[in-house]
Amino acid sequence: MSARALLLDLRRSRTLLGWLVVITAAYAGFITVFYTNVAENAEEFEKLLEVYPKELLIAFGIEGNFADPGVFLSGYVFSFLWPLIAAIGAIALATRIAADVDRGFLDIVLATRLPRVRHLAASIGSQALGIGLLAGTMVGAIVLADLLIEPDFPTARVLAAGVHAFAFGAAIAGPATLFAVVFLDRGRAAGIVAGVLVLMYLLNVVAALAPEVDALATISAFRYFDVRDLIGDGAYPVGDSLLLGGVGAAGWALSLLVFRRRDLAA
Amino acid sequence: MTRIIEADGLTKSYGPRRGIVDVTFSVDEGEVFGFLGPNGAGKTTTIRTLLGLLRPTSGRASIFGLDVWSEAPRLHDRLSYVGSDPGYLGELTAGALLDYVAGLRGLARGAWRQAAERFELDPTVQIRKLSRGNRQKVGVVQAFMGDAPLLVLDEPTSGLDPLMQREFLTALSEARAAGRTVFLSSHNLPEVERSCDRVGIIREGRLIEISTVQALLAGHWRSVSLVLAAPAPAGTFDLPNVQVVSAAARDVHLMIRGDVNPLLRRIASLDVHDVSIATPEIEDIFLRFYDGTGPSPARVAVPAGASVPAHRTETGR
Repeated sequence: MSARALLLDLRRSRTLLGWLVVITAAYAGFITVFYTNVAENAEEFEKLLEVYPKELLIAFGIEGNFADPGVFLSGYVFSFLWPLIAAIGAIALATRIAADVDRGFLDIVLATRLPRVRHLAASIGSQALGIGLLAGTMVGAIVLADLLIEPDFPTARVLAAGVHAFAFGAAIAGPATLFAVVFLDRGRAAGIVAGVLVLMYLLNVVAALAPEVDALATISAFRYFDVRDLIGDGAYPVGDSLLLGGVGAAGWALSLLVFRRRDLAA
Repeated sequence: MTRIIEADGLTKSYGPRRGIVDVTFSVDEGEVFGFLGPNGAGKTTTIRTLLGLLRPTSGRASIFGLDVWSEAPRLHDRLSYVGSDPGYLGELTAGALLDYVAGLRGLARGAWRQAAERFELDPTVQIRKLSRGNRQKVGVVQAFMGDAPLLVLDEPTSGLDPLMQREFLTALSEARAAGRTVFLSSHNLPEVERSCDRVGIIREGRLIEISTVQALLAGHWRSVSLVLAAPAPAGTFDLPNVQVVSAAARDVHLMIRGDVNPLLRRIASLDVHDVSIATPEIEDIFLRFYDGTGPSPARVAVPAGASVPAHRTETGR
């Protein structure tokens, strides 16, 4: 990895990441502070939610008792905010390489002594740091806001959920990077990844509504990103985390292999 | 003489689309090689293939003896490249961008300052706020920072004002005097004429002519107009490389190709009131390759240093 290229990539990411950090911190912090009210009025909330169609609640991951911190944080933050933030951040950062080929910037960079692999590795490093920053911001905002409320959330479990959230983000960024270097077309790569994510989300919802097609959800990344038990019971989803992280790592590794020998015909 | 660039049957296709076909040439150390062709002829494809950004469909090329595809980073260590429309990052200042590229090329921070002063580039302005000409200056400064032994320049002066173009030519002369090798793709024919030792002309992806600039000019007809004190004796201008266009009393119009000395000796034997010899502009010659009167695309393999083009048009102007 080239430190110089990594620093430039981070510099180029600062506006995007800055805004995503602000949005993530503000939303996660606000929702966390709101928890006391939800917990105290859990029964009323459940009655209120009964008004809504079950399908709608499942679609937004709102299932279970909202006095449970795991259900609350999962429903309002991890399963709602994080997929959006992770998708925007990961896709934008991962597909930049294709845009750089198209604009001709990569010609300048790769006509120097910098090998392709080191350049792309810097981009991948920047993606990982960016996703890590966003995941850290999310759980950090929860932990900080938690200081203002009673009862407390289990801090260690929330932080562990941040690690799992990072793995979910990596599972988006890795394949997005691969599509970017395969197609060298930012729009196409971003469109495919976004489309697949929406499809996976729908599969997960359909599987939750119709248990007979539950097997469909096994190909959905959302099936493996559930932090309710982690925050509620402290059971870290090691297998799910390894699977998501593995998809991300495999995507990145394949990207390096492809890009090393890729014809850069924009 | 060391070969710096060698391309042998270099071909690049983009699926069904033509890129370049069977391009063969070489560039010697210390030589300034001009690469001429209209838009879409294959100049940039050739350069991107030489830089290892595109994988040749067939054929091979080497720079400093290193294969351009498999050993690209090693050979990039010794060259300086600037593209015709470089996709600089608009959010960076020119100085920050140049520092970044300098760093990647192993140069010190600020290695560009001298060249920036020379080309009057303000390094503090964000690139997105620069005019096209000033953005092009960033490329020229980038090309001339450091002392890479090979400069690969893809239309570096497009958008530069005449003063900066002249400064560019001076810098190019200095680079040549310092023994650096230059591969210059250009639309600017006077620039090529003034700065290049040899010229390659590419049309429809094929290299159709390689020649020294002098040979290219000498191989084409020049116009000679004479005003004599008295009509010339019959047969005065009977020379194998001379055609008499008109000879009305004391006014004579001749066309000559190749060596002018025999004709000059004949003219010197006459009482001449006035004489003018119009050398064809390289632009005229270049355009002939595109108006259907030039040679058909065919493989040309002329070794570096050759003074005679492998293909030469035989028709007069």
